[in-house]
Amino acid sequence: MDLMVRIAAQDGASAAALKELYGLTSARMYGLALRVTGNREWAEDALQEAYLNIWRIAGDYRAGISPPMAWMGVIVRSRSLDFLRRRNSERVDAAVELDDYLQDTISGDVDDPLAMADASQQATALRQCLSRLDVKQREVVSLAYLRDLSHSELAGQLSLPLGTVKTWIRRGLTQLRDCMERFAA
Amino acid sequence: MNLLKYPDLLDQLAAAHALGTLRGGARRRFEGMARENPGIRSRAVLWQETFAAFTEIQPAMLPNPQVWQRIENLLPPTRRPAAQPSAGPVDMLQSLRRALGLWRGAALAGGLAAAVAVVVGVRLDQQLGQRDAALAQAQQEGQQLTAQLAAQTRIEYVAVLQDDKQAGSVLVTFDPAKRALTLKRVGDYREGEDKSLELWALPPGQAPKSLGLMGQGAVARLTAAEGEVAPSPILAITLEPKGGAPAGGGPTGPIVFKGALLKTEI
Repeated sequence: MDLMVRIAAQDGASAAALKELYGLTSARMYGLALRVTGNREWAEDALQEAYLNIWRIAGDYRAGISPPMAWMGVIVRSRSLDFLRRRNSERVDAAVELDDYLQDTISGDVDDPLAMADASQQATALRQCLSRLDVKQREVVSLAYLRDLSHSELAGQLSLPLGTVKTWIRRGLTQLRDCMERFAA
Repeated sequence: MNLLKYPDLLDQLAAAHALGTLRGGARRRFEGMARENPGIRSRAVLWQETFAAFTEIQPAMLPNPQVWQRIENLLPPTRRPAAQPSAGPVDMLQSLRRALGLWRGAALAGGLAAAVAVVVGVRLDQQLGQRDAALAQAQQEGQQLTAQLAAQTRIEYVAVLQDDKQAGSVLVTFDPAKRALTLKRVGDYREGEDKSLELWALPPGQAPKSLGLMGQGAVARLTAAEGEVAPSPILAITLEPKGGAPAGGGPTGPIVFKGALLKTEI
């Protein structure tokens, strides 16, 4: 990818290339950081560190191995998780009611084919299959991945009984599997 | 137990592993089996690919414009000149699409599952290795960043304003953090007793903005916000009646000194 190559060159044109990349990708990456951290300030800090990181390691990017959004997504999620862990350890009460969480996030969760034009095939399939899950199951499965949470951590953070979390995840994964298999076929 | 004989259980474990909810001993046992058995590994890898897409499907939100400003301020200076003229955003989009096309092709091949499981496994191993490298580097760079922040670079602006005979000049420095604009006379130029030297910012496409008067001394200290100074590629000093040009209007006298404003990091 041209832009990554220009950033990796670390010459007089690299800052402009990073700015271009930021312009094209920061909204999606900020959306991701916001979902992981659940906090604007931390999401902005994570975004800042992630792009500074991309500035330094753009030379490691290989277009044939992963799509650019997925590669950047790994970095942004990792930075966001760092912030989340660091800050959660400072907070006494990190619990959020699932319903409150849903109100914050679900409004933006609309089907937007244009925004998905550049997504990988996996992303398209996952999005469609997730949309068939019950909304609470979908959120619990998404949060488990995005925030790297165990069953008990999920139960704690979302104030849900542990058994409920386990059941929702198990059912969610089974439904996802059946749906994804149809996509692969 | 050979997990391959229980495809449903294998898929359940592989999915829970990729999601991150398979923990502790169960996780380690599953990873051990995946290392030894390509069939198990291929299921693990397919689920990892599937869930990695979670990072791509979150609703987009525009970040605060200040985030980019902060990133730009923290970029270390590059010394080498540009290797080639920069390509436009259209090229970028095309190359993004090309890269994605390549990826889609690879992913479709991956969908054939078992038959090509070993190939997929190798490809993903590379990808995971790369992730590990990137993450390890990220840790290191986090520390570097902290060190950099501690010894934070200061931005300063400088301009050498010269007359058309290159005989005298005025050295201007501007520290945006302190809003301190300092002017130093170099050379013999002296304006008449009934005149004042006035400093102007010349922002492109706008009327000149007065930054203040110099006074008779060798050094003048003025106060200015970054927004008043930084957007101007050029600063100029005009010869005005005592007390300066009428407020709100532009310069009335001739330009005596002018020069380019340069941004430096110190």
